[in-house]
Amino acid sequence: MKTLGRWLAEHGIAVGSPIVTLCVWEWASATGVLREAFFPRPSTVLAHLVQLGADGTLWAHTAKSLIRIGWAFALSAVFGVGVGLAMGVWRRLRDGLDPVFAVIYPIPSVLFLPLVSFLVPPGEIALVVTTAVTSFFLVAFTTTHGVRQIDRLVVEAAVHYGARGPRLFAAVLLPGALPYIFTGLRLGLGFALIVVVAVEIVSASTGLGALLWLSWGILKVEDMYATFFVIALLGAVLSYGLAALRARLLPWVQDVGAR
Amino acid sequence: MALAVPALLLALWELCARLALVSPRYFPPPTQIGWVLIDRFAEGDLGANTLVTVTRLAAAFALAAVPAVPLGLLMGVARPVRDVVEPYITFIFPVPKITLLPFLLIILGVGEPAFVLTGATSAFFQIVISTLAGVQTMDPRLLEVGRNYGAHGPRLFWKIIVPAALPAIFTGLRLGLGLALVALVAVEFIAAKSGLGHLVYRHWQMLSTPEMYAAFALVGALGLLLTRGLRALQARMLAWQEDVGQL
Repeated sequence: MKTLGRWLAEHGIAVGSPIVTLCVWEWASATGVLREAFFPRPSTVLAHLVQLGADGTLWAHTAKSLIRIGWAFALSAVFGVGVGLAMGVWRRLRDGLDPVFAVIYPIPSVLFLPLVSFLVPPGEIALVVTTAVTSFFLVAFTTTHGVRQIDRLVVEAAVHYGARGPRLFAAVLLPGALPYIFTGLRLGLGFALIVVVAVEIVSASTGLGALLWLSWGILKVEDMYATFFVIALLGAVLSYGLAALRARLLPWVQDVGAR
Repeated sequence: MALAVPALLLALWELCARLALVSPRYFPPPTQIGWVLIDRFAEGDLGANTLVTVTRLAAAFALAAVPAVPLGLLMGVARPVRDVVEPYITFIFPVPKITLLPFLLIILGVGEPAFVLTGATSAFFQIVISTLAGVQTMDPRLLEVGRNYGAHGPRLFWKIIVPAALPAIFTGLRLGLGLALVALVAVEFIAAKSGLGHLVYRHWQMLSTPEMYAAFALVGALGLLLTRGLRALQARMLAWQEDVGQL
């Protein structure tokens, strides 16, 4: 009880302010201060959320998006860490690829959809590859940076003691760059969510982005809010949940704050 | 040396397209794209659409930065403000801002305000978070020294806190501008009828690939110019600050 009181004193405003907002919103929509056509009452949205969840629509779309995110994340993690490690080690490769990456990286991933759909079979594969593009660059950048910040002395000592090739990689470079790689993976996962929603809006009939866009098309405003809520929840879980998970599972790995 | 690899890649592409090793319909040779780029720019429609995107970007950036920096600073110095505002920021920050587009489209109607606001929200949250972090992570000794020398209230704020947070604010503005560009081009691709993003979409649908790649290249050039240019500006203006944020 005492701890609850202390917790409330500490976080009372942070918890209270959203609740107050929701209540004011409910009241304003109910009395017509806000147009209910645009700002449906939170209770109505909740009812729609429950209904969408009960008839399975929401789960199907969420699962679809999550599977796409998972594949895209796996692709960008494997290739990003691989390319990043190589770029960190070989100066020539880094000098060569840096300008290429610098031009490609700031291009929004959705724009890659046409290009990717020329390269791979359109449909699911094109969606996943497009989603992976930006995450790949993020992971590659942070991994390169992670390798480069490893203390030269450590690397030289390892080389002196005979660590070469794969051993140097597995025993020195990879663990040395790990904190940065984790930051890159976390950011990459966040970006995968952002891009998957955008790509689904453009060219999919399934997934949360598609559900949002289709609900807009037929002006089901309550369903839009419900979908938005699920996307936001997913974003919060992916970005804050992952950080918490890392702190718990790998307490020795420091998160190098990217912002 | 630094340009050798890109040049080599382009040459390889050119060769493959000319020899029809890859379909020139989907991957036209870079020289052809280059000519189209010059042609269309002179003719007006590429240039005009670039201008549209840049104008939207400027509007979105201004709309985001003007309220975001003061809000971030205020959150940094006034605990109650931070407690009230922070839940919303943490909730909305990781949400893909493109999801706000359909809401803005029904509330504001299909048009410039909805497009620009989607870009602005994208930048807004990044700038608030960076600014707040700048105030929170400032060296507390600076505050103590300031107080000991008699700085209070507004003086402490303007002479100590703002300069200390300046590098983080600048980083936030730089990242925010990049995010605004990404969101805007995506919005153009999805919903607008003008701008570089829309050009890529339209020429994709019409399969006029040289024009598509030309617009694509312009987006890349714009992004490069903004990120590199701002980073150089930051390094120059805040020369005493060694860490200007790697990402």
